[in-house]
Amino acid sequence: MSDNTRLPCLPVAGTRAYPPRHSAFTAVFWNALAQGLWQTTRCGACGHATFPPKPVCPHCWSTDMRWAPLGARGRLYSWTRIHAAPAVFAAEAPYAVGIVDLDDGLRLACRLLDTEHTTWTPGMPVEMVVLTYEDGPLFAARPI
Amino acid sequence: MTRRVALIGASAIPVGRHQTPDDAALQTLEHEIMTRLVTEAVQDAGVNKEDIQSLVFTLPRPYTRQKYFHTFLMGQLRLACRGSVMEVMGNGMTAALAFDKACDEILLGRAEVALALGINMESAVSAAEHMMSSMRTTGDVDFHTSAGFTPIAWYAMDATRYLHEHGATREQLGAVAVKNRHHASLNPLAQYRKPITLDEVVAQRPIVEPLGLYDVPPRGDGAACLVLASEDVAKATGRPYALVRGRGFCHDGSHQISDVPNDMIAFEAAARASRDAYAQAGIGAQEIDLAELYAPCTIVEVLVSEAIGLVPRGQGARAAFEGETRLGGRIPVSTSGGLTSRGHPAYVTSLYNYVELAEQLRGRAGERQVKDAHWGLGTGELGNYNAALVHVLEAVR
Repeated sequence: MSDNTRLPCLPVAGTRAYPPRHSAFTAVFWNALAQGLWQTTRCGACGHATFPPKPVCPHCWSTDMRWAPLGARGRLYSWTRIHAAPAVFAAEAPYAVGIVDLDDGLRLACRLLDTEHTTWTPGMPVEMVVLTYEDGPLFAARPI
Repeated sequence: MTRRVALIGASAIPVGRHQTPDDAALQTLEHEIMTRLVTEAVQDAGVNKEDIQSLVFTLPRPYTRQKYFHTFLMGQLRLACRGSVMEVMGNGMTAALAFDKACDEILLGRAEVALALGINMESAVSAAEHMMSSMRTTGDVDFHTSAGFTPIAWYAMDATRYLHEHGATREQLGAVAVKNRHHASLNPLAQYRKPITLDEVVAQRPIVEPLGLYDVPPRGDGAACLVLASEDVAKATGRPYALVRGRGFCHDGSHQISDVPNDMIAFEAAARASRDAYAQAGIGAQEIDLAELYAPCTIVEVLVSEAIGLVPRGQGARAAFEGETRLGGRIPVSTSGGLTSRGHPAYVTSLYNYVELAEQLRGRAGERQVKDAHWGLGTGELGNYNAALVHVLEAVR
């Protein structure tokens, strides 16, 4: 398909601290993400997209859910930097997380690609990226 | 005639570090605390053991060794009941649900007297370890927890957004912590009672930016017991009581975050639940004399105060800074010291809020008594106030 969204894949040393589980359904998302493909489910009945992807439409409860590309850009709705972290994330702390409103109308929460020089501000434009850990991918946002 | 429910008795241990490490020679046993609290609360209420027909317990933490704690306690007290005996769970809403379900037992006519009670022990488990469990309670365990989100990280993002939208200052937000510590200094049940200054609040190390150590709840243990009764039983005791006059509940149909962009800091569930509770009570928000809010962080108290109409939108932090929500102010909020200073043993936290309402509305709050307190309000919540449970209580003396 020509309308796929491809995200930059950034290699990260080590493994994910708390990797997501895969079901036969969500494996489609994570395996695609590993290839840089950014997609979610859209309902064939009511047309609503939803994120995270779901096998049942939360809006109309149809099971006619189809994979569709997601927009890569959006704006930061809010953010925080976590200093007090759970045991498995302690080595990464402090780290920034945020809420992103994608340009195509979905809101999601993810890790922010933080540097010492990044100033995060609500409303700032961001783009989605794939963090390619040794054991699999996570999605994150960075400033444009 | 419609039955009504009265809060007629209460007891609690001071919030603090009660849980013993596994290797301690002498252990703190939950049921020894709980049996004593039941007898104290029932004595406070002026009813008899035989009058109690329903008990609604909060779920203990997984660290509590005795399983099926609720029915174990029935045996410890030889309480025979014909209403209901159960443990309830609803994340942060757990204790508010225990109160609510105990009210239902009386409204349904299953009991004339019902207890809402529970114990939360967790302080001997390190914060980093405890967060391994709590990080799985907020958001999607696969899509959010994998990114490192923690429960209070969501409140921190509320704070970031609030400061951005309303131009409130870090100092105004910190004023909530100073105010609540002052209240806690007057409350023997509070975990942290030494007064603090605004400079100290702002200077604390960051926990989840922009919130620092004094903006977020401490960890602690607690236990409390409330006695609820039908209005007839309450009247017959001849003692002051607090009548439950309004109740509202709303779940906004999202868990932690809505993928349809909304106004995240409007706390719409709290707004709706409070409107229903006020309507049942036949009052408006302006008639509330004090509010005991489930507000784990300074920002949450600000946002709930606004959502339930105690202060105008965008003005909650300023109101705290200017003393409006302090004891003696226009609308005292968290007179117990709130979750940041009275303490936050999460599964029983709202029990402590109702304990405070019982004390205030019966005119027994001592140095922190709100003068002529007539209408009191309590809230419970889960998620990022994705669901809210609001009760409005009226003093009857």
